[in-house]
Amino acid sequence: MSHLVGVDTGGTFTDVVLVEGDQVRIYKVPSTPDDPSLAVLEGLAGLLDDGALADARVIHGSTVATNALLERKGARVALVTTAGFEDVIEIGRQARREIYDLAVSKPEPLVPPQRRFGARERLDERGTVITALEEAEVERVARAVAASDAESVAICLLHSYANPAHEHALVRALEDSGFVTASYDVLPEFREYERTSTTAVNAFVGPVMSSYLGKLGERLDPGRVRIMASNGGVVSLDAASRLAVQTILSGPAGGAVGGFEIGRLAGHDHVITFDMGGTSTDVSLCAGELSRTSEAEIGGLPIRVPVIDIHTVGAGGGSIAYRDPGGSLRVGPESAGADPGPICYGRGGAGVTVTDANLFLGRLSPHHFLGGAQELESEGVSAAIERLSAELGLEAVELAEGVVRVANATMERAIRVISLERGFDPRDFTLICFGGAGGLHAVDLARSLGIPRVLVPAGAGTLSALGMLLADPIRDFSRSLLRPLDGFEADELEAVFDALEGLGRQELVAEGFAESSLRFERLADLRYSGQGFELAVSVGSTTDLEDPGPASASRADTLAADFHDAHEARYGYADRGRSVEVVTVRVRAIAVTDKPELTTAVSGDTDASAAVIGSHRLVHDGGRHDGALIDRDLLRPGHEFVGPAVVVEYSTTTLVPPGTACQIDTHLNLVLTP
Amino acid sequence: MTRPEPLSSWDPITLEIFRNLFYSVAEEMGVTLCRTSFSPNIKERRDYSCAIFDAKGRMVAQGEHMPVHLGSMPTSVEAAIAAVDLEPGDVVMVNDPFRGGTHLPDITLVEGVFLDDGDEAEGGAGDEPVVDSASPRPAFFVANRAHHSDVGGMTPGSMPLATEIFQEGIRIPPVLLVKGGEIQRDILDLVLANVRTPVEREGDLTAQIASNRTGARRLLGLVERYGAEMVSEYMRHLQDYAERMTREAIRRIPDGEYRFEDAMDDDGQGNGPLPIIVRLTVDGEDATVDFTGTCDQAAGSVNANDAITLSATMYCFRVIVPFAVPSNWGTIQPLTVIAPEGSLVNANPPAAMAGGNVETSQRIVDVVLGALAQAMPDRIPAASYGTMSNLTIGGVDPRTGKPFAYYETIAGGMGARPWADGLDATHCHMTNSLNTPIEALEHAYPYRVRRYAVRRGTGGAGEYRGGDGIERELEMLGDATVTILSDRRVGRPYGLEGGEPGAPGANSVVDASGEPSALAGKDSREVKAGSVIRVHTPGGGGHGLA
Repeated sequence: MSHLVGVDTGGTFTDVVLVEGDQVRIYKVPSTPDDPSLAVLEGLAGLLDDGALADARVIHGSTVATNALLERKGARVALVTTAGFEDVIEIGRQARREIYDLAVSKPEPLVPPQRRFGARERLDERGTVITALEEAEVERVARAVAASDAESVAICLLHSYANPAHEHALVRALEDSGFVTASYDVLPEFREYERTSTTAVNAFVGPVMSSYLGKLGERLDPGRVRIMASNGGVVSLDAASRLAVQTILSGPAGGAVGGFEIGRLAGHDHVITFDMGGTSTDVSLCAGELSRTSEAEIGGLPIRVPVIDIHTVGAGGGSIAYRDPGGSLRVGPESAGADPGPICYGRGGAGVTVTDANLFLGRLSPHHFLGGAQELESEGVSAAIERLSAELGLEAVELAEGVVRVANATMERAIRVISLERGFDPRDFTLICFGGAGGLHAVDLARSLGIPRVLVPAGAGTLSALGMLLADPIRDFSRSLLRPLDGFEADELEAVFDALEGLGRQELVAEGFAESSLRFERLADLRYSGQGFELAVSVGSTTDLEDPGPASASRADTLAADFHDAHEARYGYADRGRSVEVVTVRVRAIAVTDKPELTTAVSGDTDASAAVIGSHRLVHDGGRHDGALIDRDLLRPGHEFVGPAVVVEYSTTTLVPPGTACQIDTHLNLVLTP
Repeated sequence: MTRPEPLSSWDPITLEIFRNLFYSVAEEMGVTLCRTSFSPNIKERRDYSCAIFDAKGRMVAQGEHMPVHLGSMPTSVEAAIAAVDLEPGDVVMVNDPFRGGTHLPDITLVEGVFLDDGDEAEGGAGDEPVVDSASPRPAFFVANRAHHSDVGGMTPGSMPLATEIFQEGIRIPPVLLVKGGEIQRDILDLVLANVRTPVEREGDLTAQIASNRTGARRLLGLVERYGAEMVSEYMRHLQDYAERMTREAIRRIPDGEYRFEDAMDDDGQGNGPLPIIVRLTVDGEDATVDFTGTCDQAAGSVNANDAITLSATMYCFRVIVPFAVPSNWGTIQPLTVIAPEGSLVNANPPAAMAGGNVETSQRIVDVVLGALAQAMPDRIPAASYGTMSNLTIGGVDPRTGKPFAYYETIAGGMGARPWADGLDATHCHMTNSLNTPIEALEHAYPYRVRRYAVRRGTGGAGEYRGGDGIERELEMLGDATVTILSDRRVGRPYGLEGGEPGAPGANSVVDASGEPSALAGKDSREVKAGSVIRVHTPGGGGHGLA
């Protein structure tokens, strides 16, 4: 039997999760940033012998593309545009990021002016050729690119989403120049700046990703390795090389998939994932499915391929608290990071952080950090908190709780953005909490948002790697149409969807998936004619389509009605008399694969006293409490207890505030009722 | 360690939490408005602002939207309250620059937020304010303003080269657009009958109403959670906080008197240059900004009212506060602005006002920052491009036979900072509107963009270089009326500390036969299909000797 292994490259550790029958084994090795494949191979070798390795199916979450982009260590890219529009990549949307900051900056364009090449050609908005791309012009551009020092080429022509002929003519002429990517093949959607940016990012990170995956492919069977993509699916090595931009949010996507699937296993498919780390917090909402967006931005650059919709705010355990000149207590976005880290790490950190405040309040045990490998130092913390509280005219405990409350307010706002502001009521959701710092804040956050349940998964620290094992191969296809919904002929829209499905079927079957395992989801981005933003409306999945149902004319009516409803839910009103426009149609092709069965244990005794390893003084809501100190590893399914308590484990700590009930479910999750 | 002033009435933790909460209410109002509106000016360019106000109509928080609306949103709310006794479900609409507006395309909607019995306000989705005769006065106000693509007047796009306000479009004093939750169809029809693109206007106004509803709902949600008293009190604390922060920033400016002068090229009617003069007096934590000596109001449409002048002045002080403070009533308190009546910066009716908000406001910033630069030479940048290069195009779309009106502003070069080059091709100071994607434009309007490029070498030289302007060319696919309202086509954005000024802009048209001709900085033409409009925007000034 072949093994299934998830490998997640993180900033500090590379996590390897192996599923063998119903057993999950976890192995952590230090990451090797200079060549991440070393840690990957070392981690794999730690769990599997050579024979088993050759046979194993490996799913890998890679930060290679992300880091290449953030550190600007990608390929030298040449950009070919329609002549007259070489600077679109530089002008962007002509706005500045901060309106009241005289020191505002903007990210350097990925391609400098001397490597931008205009081609004389022009299409109109319907894809009709206005100025033909002459053969001589193609050759001239190809020569100019070849004469530059470019290592890869991005091609993005105006209105190419409506007609790829000119871009593809250039691809053919430039094929020998190395890594070549046309915007039509990355993102056939309108909005030239965003499409150019996405295409340029692909050309920038693609060669780096290709060489990295090539290295992995030498040691592993390339046909058995898949890469976690930002859209929550997995892709082949070939697709990850060609469309590396799709892997930019690989790691966080694994976390969201892991959180969602763990929630689903526990019987909750409406979840908000909450991943609080040292410098930032990621939240994502899943109302029965993972939510995706095409409006992501990384390092200031728009990336318009579908990604899991993850909202990030600059509040984490390392966020630093200070008094501003107006006398208000601020927390973050400055962070003490990992080095020097919070004061309690004893590595020279000086500013009071959220983690320091938690330690001061007795919510962290100084003796159980990283399984007791590192003793937290309380002395410096008390002194610093006294100083800051005096500055603000507060008692020390008041200040420490204030630091936590202000950080919570920032995270609460993040959750409001993805729920209430999008028409979802948090009271219908379960909060799935992971990341090193989340467990200390989750219950208080849930209380202020009315969230009825908090789930802290077992192995919360390796949830991303586990999530990768639960992801299916997914390909997203799209095409911008920009036409009124009532202007489509009876079967025209169907034909576009069918064509996109055909592309998905072709790719996934070529990768070896059985036709019978394929599922297709159809979506349409709609808006009222004249609006500037679209809402994605589901047009049904394969299952619905097996019953052809009413004729397409009324299918358009259904689609319009669904859009009106979605608009009302999201923005508070609908204008049912107004005409609706189809902006982009999308097909998500999914190969449904077998998932590992995760451990379930039989519930036993409710008495958790065997897991209590001590008692602990803690402060909550101004009150001092004697709480139980509980070792997570000793908790068993069925155990129950009521806070105040602090649950410690290797990679995180969970605060169970006074009155909060905690149960251990059959998957060893902590289930808290705020 | 000595304890600071007694803080019995507020605590710094709750203050910070409310700062976030109020700001996010204003931001969320903006999301609703931006995502559901129809004018490119609102949906793509983000030319709008949303804000919340206390029971007295004093601003508490404004979203980070358009700086030019900073000081002028409160004026609209003031005018609305003065004109109408707002009841639950009422929405006041206003655009008249002489009754609380700025220029006619900016339509502002103001709504009162009423508490239910015993503060038991509901926060859930879809709740309508409940009529309650026992609490007739609003507890708070919400307001939003959006730049509509057309409000009638002489030329499509309603940014004409007018000589009196009557030519600029429909003038709306504070009137009820919505009464008791019902749209006043007669008022709406009156407005729609006076504009070129009524379907789009109605959609935008609907989006504006929804935006205010969002704000009201969220404020009532806060009341539900914290109680009305606490919400009101922290509104006041946040205003005091903004005032303290602004005073602290002013305290850091050396006391003294600083003068600066710059000018608008002309008023589009053959008069110019039009000098704007400022005398800035800093005394401890107070500042007086006196525009006495500025030229008289102009015959052409570049007049500003006092609200615009206040906005521009507030902006200049806002950017020298080193922290993110809320823009609200407190920010204004340390400032005294003297804008002589009948001058270019405080015009009387029936002056034409279209360009005051977009052009003159930029020059007011140039002079106030110029004065501040003398006090703090290491903190203030050289002049930015100083014009929004407002381009309006209208006519009948040959593809559909329907009238269209389009408006865009084009960025330029940012002035060099004392520590860094100015950014190229980026909107500065009083605006931050985005461009509309070319691929979206060509779907919606009958013209084709021919060129959109950085205008290299136009930033002023210096130790730090001014940013470069933009070159933009549009080819008309049908006959159209084209109006350009721009400045810095003669005068140049100044450099500082020995830096060179930025290059001036230039406008021209090439007709279908290829014959080029210059367009003035402020010009309007009927052009034939095939004509190409070319706009070159100015670069920013340089800083320091090269």
